[in-house]
Amino acid sequence: MSMAFQLAWRLFKHEARRGELTIILLAIVLSVASVLSLSLFSERLQQALTDRSAEFIAADSQLRSRTPVDETWISEAQNRGLNTAFQISTRSMVFAGDELTLSDLRAVDAAYPLKGEVKTSDIAFGLGQAANKSVAPGEVWIDSRLYQLLGIEKGDDIEIGDATLTVTEILSEIPDAGFSVFNTDPMLLMSAQDIAATNITGPGSRVSYKYYFTGDSSALDDYYDWLRPQMNREIHRWTSIEDDESPIGRSIARAEEYFLLASLLAIVLAAVSIAVAAQRYSQRHFDPVAIMKTLGASKAMVRQIYLMQICFITALGISIGVIAGYLIQQGVVTLLAGQVEVALNTWYWRPLGIAVFTGVTCALLFSLYPLLQLFSVPPLRVLRKDIQSTLSSRALQFVFSGSAVFLLMWTYSQNLKISSILFASGILLVVSLLGMTYLLIMIGRKLGSGSMGAWTLAWARIRRRAMGNSVQLISFAITIMLLLVVLVMRNDMVKQWRDQLPEGTPNYFISNVTEAQKEGLKEHFTANNVKYEKFYPVARGRFVAINEEKIRTDVTKEDEEVADDGRQGLGREANLSWSTELQSGNVIVDGQWHDNWQEGEPVPLSIETEVAGRLDIELGDELTFNLGSEVITATVTSMREVDWQTLQPNFFFVLHPKAMENFSATYITSFNLDESRKAEISRIMAPFASVTLFDVDARINQLREIIDQVSMAVEFILVLVLIAGALVLIAQVQASMDERLQELAILRTLGLKGRSIRFSVINEFVIIGTVAGLMAALANEFSLYMLQTAVFQMPPSLHAEYWAIAPTVGAAVVGVLGAIGCWRLLSLNTGHLLRKMV
Amino acid sequence: MTTASTIIETKSLIKKVITSEGELQILQPISFAINQGESVAIIGASGSGKSTLLGLLAGLDEVSGGHISLDGAALHDMNEEQRARIRGEKVGFIFQSFMLVQSLTALENIMLPAEIAGLDNPKKRAQEILKQVGLDHRANHFPNQLSGGEQQRVAIARAFITNPKILFADEPTGNLDSNNSHKVEELLFKLNKESDTTLVLVTHDDELASRCERQLRMSAGELKEETQHLKVVAGSGGA
Repeated sequence: MSMAFQLAWRLFKHEARRGELTIILLAIVLSVASVLSLSLFSERLQQALTDRSAEFIAADSQLRSRTPVDETWISEAQNRGLNTAFQISTRSMVFAGDELTLSDLRAVDAAYPLKGEVKTSDIAFGLGQAANKSVAPGEVWIDSRLYQLLGIEKGDDIEIGDATLTVTEILSEIPDAGFSVFNTDPMLLMSAQDIAATNITGPGSRVSYKYYFTGDSSALDDYYDWLRPQMNREIHRWTSIEDDESPIGRSIARAEEYFLLASLLAIVLAAVSIAVAAQRYSQRHFDPVAIMKTLGASKAMVRQIYLMQICFITALGISIGVIAGYLIQQGVVTLLAGQVEVALNTWYWRPLGIAVFTGVTCALLFSLYPLLQLFSVPPLRVLRKDIQSTLSSRALQFVFSGSAVFLLMWTYSQNLKISSILFASGILLVVSLLGMTYLLIMIGRKLGSGSMGAWTLAWARIRRRAMGNSVQLISFAITIMLLLVVLVMRNDMVKQWRDQLPEGTPNYFISNVTEAQKEGLKEHFTANNVKYEKFYPVARGRFVAINEEKIRTDVTKEDEEVADDGRQGLGREANLSWSTELQSGNVIVDGQWHDNWQEGEPVPLSIETEVAGRLDIELGDELTFNLGSEVITATVTSMREVDWQTLQPNFFFVLHPKAMENFSATYITSFNLDESRKAEISRIMAPFASVTLFDVDARINQLREIIDQVSMAVEFILVLVLIAGALVLIAQVQASMDERLQELAILRTLGLKGRSIRFSVINEFVIIGTVAGLMAALANEFSLYMLQTAVFQMPPSLHAEYWAIAPTVGAAVVGVLGAIGCWRLLSLNTGHLLRKMV
Repeated sequence: MTTASTIIETKSLIKKVITSEGELQILQPISFAINQGESVAIIGASGSGKSTLLGLLAGLDEVSGGHISLDGAALHDMNEEQRARIRGEKVGFIFQSFMLVQSLTALENIMLPAEIAGLDNPKKRAQEILKQVGLDHRANHFPNQLSGGEQQRVAIARAFITNPKILFADEPTGNLDSNNSHKVEELLFKLNKESDTTLVLVTHDDELASRCERQLRMSAGELKEETQHLKVVAGSGGA
């Protein structure tokens, strides 16, 4: 064993035993534990949420096609260990005796669904329960509306094309039904084996094919890589849950971004604490290094000793951190058991890798500058204690620390945007703080020149140390800012999620309400104590031309398949609405809403911005629709942004009522019926049998459950980051106490009362906490604006209350921590203080 | 000219520092020689340049001009690494504030120079010398568990473990009470005599200086006078 190793080990052993490495060890443990617990929990939660979300597409991935795909595509997937299932869907007339109606027909194989459950109920519109079987050949399961429309019983036969099938179940729900108030046809589920017998999928029929896949995510990715070159974009579309544009998909994507953000901030917090601890560690070793050099140690030997010691500290910190992180995560998972669904029995190696990598990188990169300072301590310090390190470039420190933080964030997130935003706000904070520090010196110069009161002493100390302690001030502010960002983002996000589904959210939609039925239905609802929403007029039109040029055929009937919010596709068939009143959740972003339209002007039309972009429509374009045999032409006068996350009917095209005055409209609306009154729905709707009813309760409950789970998880992460932040603050105060030791000893020796010293130290911390809190509020506002607009796609918001909260909490927390630290030192007698200084 | 018995020699040694007001020469040209085995006290008021001179003689600081020879090694031509090697091989140090490594025990502090110099059996050597200074029962105590006098005795033991040719001592009794000062003085001169080490001692304590064979007086950066066997100030006791 080399001499350097022996010395390093000896120093490490003694210092660890004597508690001198506590702060730096704690910082590394904290970084590793918080990153590991956050990543591990996040991975487990995401896995559970992804599994849950996968239910909405009935698989992990889905291949949609307008034609049957080559059989080798499916056999290749199976050869790669993937599970597959299959569905054919089309619209077809269904006959039961003299009754007939158009239905949304789904023919599936026995493996369907790969994720989620098909639910059936005993009675029409009853509560659904998981069907523990699949639909058998010769059988058909029909939904409550079809059951009602055809007026049949279980066991009756219905005809679909050339086939006769027996109704065996009332279909309540299938996982990938989609949700749209415009999806007007009632659904039936039959076996794919019977589809040939129906003869309804011949040439000219509009049939779509869905192939479902589940399996290991890397196997799925590999399969998609194999499949992609063979796919025809006009015919095939690959969908994964990550591509889900539904409110649920977006909520989950946003939660994932939040987890990522929280983890990144935890890394930054850990990095700040390690930087502070490493600085303290370095300063405490100035004397030993000077002594060793005086006694003949070469620079190389000093380097070896201290690099090895950092390695020992890092290894110990990582080991404790891994155990602590695992225990924290396991504890929280156990605590939240039953409330948050997580994949419990899986161990993910990625979080462990990230945590260890973070520990190593933080420990080495953030101790690099302090170590370089340490190596450059001249031996002459043994004679002159005032001599510090010969390396004193603050800029170099910022470059080292800054690059390290940015690299860590980027490596971890793989997301240049989110890393850049956080990093840029960090830089802004640092620059602002330096300015603020300078201002403080100016103010302090005036205030610090009075008599020696506690406040005067505090100001004088700040003035004297302001530049030297700027790192400490900045790290306080960054910590507070990061905590604010995590807190405010959590509040905004959870509020927005909850706002999507307030109490009384409509759980039934009705469409096909005629003009003649409208008033009667309103009265009927009022009489039955049913709270209904606005009635929206709607007419189905065929979109045929833009500026008299026929539109391309890529906007096709198949695109009409609607996702959860009805916006995924836009068919040649479009739902038109008309109003002079702008619907809530709609914002005009270009042009003018048509409430000021004058007779004689072209008929105005407002179009949703994304559709406008997709079809290359601009303000002033003339759009033509066919409604039956009539033609309507309107001019685009405004572009609207639509909040699709509200569960309200929304429209791509809204015309001025003038354009529609010669057409009879049907209406759609929604209402809420409490769970306890669910059984009444058939009675309530009985007088309006021709009206189409949609029960979206199950869907809303699913959404609500997921939002509750994600919110709970987000709150756990917030608590973890808050704990991490609090520990960082403690570490910072602890580190700064060392610097104060000498001064406290001198003041005590000179006879200043403990009470005065204590108050002056507390006041100093209160001032620093206030300034740090103020600057944190400023940087928080900037970071949030960037995060909300660029990452989370949320409307930006001001957070005025935090301008008061941050400085107050900063002053209180930093002041209290300062008081605790100072209490410990002041409880020592002067002799002890002096001895500690030596 | 360096004779066979000369161990330290300076010629026109100067030291300049850069201050906010420009370059400042804090040591005027200094020339003198010290023979092997001699004990020399550098005395003078605070700020006279004693410690600066000691730092240069011991190779802790770089010279601004002139020559220093330490046991034949031209320190003025050497970089920090070369000077560190010379210090490790030939020099021992004792400081006013003891300068012990706080996280090493008394025994380990004593072993440190021997380990750095790569000597055999550092532990055995340290135990022996610790016995000589009367602290073998405190071997596993950390510096903050020892009194000031004990810490300085540990520092003396550390200085002698490598059998240095030259021992530099900066105010070795400056932080001690009179009782401990006396004990430390006795120990220092006893070991110095036994090991035939050259002793260069910086002090403003005339009594301590008087125990040395020669005294060099510093004043405002100049070596003002050189006295032999300075008489002890009346009433202050003496050797």
